Amino acid sequence: MYIITTENLTKKYGEFTAVDSLTMNIEEGGIFGFVGPNGAGKTTSVRMLTTMSPPTSGSATVCGIDLINDYQSAKGFIGITQQHISLDRDISVKENMIHHALLHKIPLKEIGGRIRELSELMGLEEYMDRTIISLSGGWKRRVSIVCSIIHKPKILFLDEPTAGLDTQSRHMLWELIRTLNKNGTTIFLTTHYMDEVASLCNKVGIINKGKLVALGGPDELCDELGHIAVEHIDDNGRTSYRYFPNRDSAQEYIKTFSEKKDVMMRTTNLEDVFLELTGRDVKAEKTGKVIRV
Amino acid sequence: MNDSILTESLRVAWSDLCFFKRNIVSILISCLVGPLLYLVAFGYGLGKGMEVEGLEYITFVIPGIIALTTLSASFNSTATKVLVQRTYYMSFDELMLCPIRVPSVVIGKSLIGVIRGLISCTLLIILGLLLSSELIVTPMLIISIVLSCFTFSFLGICAGLLANSHQTLNLFTSLVIVPMTFLCGTIFSLSALPDFVQVLISVLPLTPVTECIRAAAVGSVFPWASFAMVVIYCAIFYSINYYLLKKRRNV
Repeated sequence: MYIITTENLTKKYGEFTAVDSLTMNIEEGGIFGFVGPNGAGKTTSVRMLTTMSPPTSGSATVCGIDLINDYQSAKGFIGITQQHISLDRDISVKENMIHHALLHKIPLKEIGGRIRELSELMGLEEYMDRTIISLSGGWKRRVSIVCSIIHKPKILFLDEPTAGLDTQSRHMLWELIRTLNKNGTTIFLTTHYMDEVASLCNKVGIINKGKLVALGGPDELCDELGHIAVEHIDDNGRTSYRYFPNRDSAQEYIKTFSEKKDVMMRTTNLEDVFLELTGRDVKAEKTGKVIRV
Repeated sequence: MNDSILTESLRVAWSDLCFFKRNIVSILISCLVGPLLYLVAFGYGLGKGMEVEGLEYITFVIPGIIALTTLSASFNSTATKVLVQRTYYMSFDELMLCPIRVPSVVIGKSLIGVIRGLISCTLLIILGLLLSSELIVTPMLIISIVLSCFTFSFLGICAGLLANSHQTLNLFTSLVIVPMTFLCGTIFSLSALPDFVQVLISVLPLTPVTECIRAAAVGSVFPWASFAMVVIYCAIFYSINYYLLKKRRNV
């Protein structure tokens, strides 16, 4: 069953098209990674899918609910942890959690139990009476996640949740994401880190300049590009990349070089797929390549 | 769950009320310093022994100070809170992601201003009753104060939603709120001003508020036309907030 479906979903700001005819289906129960360069349209897509911003055209459903005509009903099924920490910093961790529970209309007698359960899961028990402003980035992020799942959403949108966090905090969050997913929450994750996607996601979408340029499983996308990558540094110090379906064909290619020390063969990874589709230069124009598996 | 607008509004106001509870002493001190200074400076400094509109000046000025307190306390608390939550904490977005109706957001966000205004006014009324024997507490005084607190809280939300920074909000305060504080008949009688200035000032929202509160506090004929004007202002500011929040989703 699909938890998200979009059909030609488009968002325009005047003449500028932020998201261009986004069409995709995301299965329930998985972790979907949505990646793209800065300004590619990730956050705009998330804003549309979380009812924060109406699309200019196209259609979308979340949990079977039409986001165009019935967005208010969809809110109860959606949780979102935004890119920025969007907690009330004047009040305590516990008060923020209670406030979110109240806003999501959780019955009063259930709020205490739900907060206890989630604070235990996130290891937040000893921070409950501290104000948000006194917490480090990783702990703020955890509180943010608790607030966004307090109403047991079916799908949780995490918009760059690990941006700016240290390695330990990132890994702790990865564990939390896996736990939430194991407990039945579908995760929609946007990130800039390909290792994060490779480690967590069972399906990936790559967006570039508003257009979806790849959709499929991480391994499938790598295989589609070529299972084996060959990097070659030329005399000018520039690196070129070639992809091959297997080691034999890659080795045939390597034999054509006289200097072997500047050639490296390795398994293709998601970063290769990403860079091939979105360009290696930050100013690169569209590559024109599209992979849909 | 289908809550009433009042219940939803209380859900929205909860975090602001927590903040209020945590900081009640400093909030009340900051609310009362200004009005008390006006009272001392104008009531006892400039106005001692004076009579205005047939009233002892202290009796004339206390309702005016109560009126300007409804403006300053209600406006400042909602405008600053909404601006900070919207542009610095970004927590305002969270409200829009929850299954809460727009009218509840508007009313809920206004409650901190209303409560702050009411507490400040209550303290001033108590002080006023001690200072002037001519002042009375009537149902219309309470209704006028509550209505005024809602009106200026809604105006504060408008400013908080429209301002891009503290700088913009300060500019709005300097150009709109401060002139109203001094010009709308709070500390002097408008009859002393030229006719065309009186007409200009009479359309500012604090003027009818002052007229209602003063009439109710000294027991003179209640100005129902002014009261109707305040109701209209309240409805206008509420509608602007409703429109701004609806439009906000369309960004």
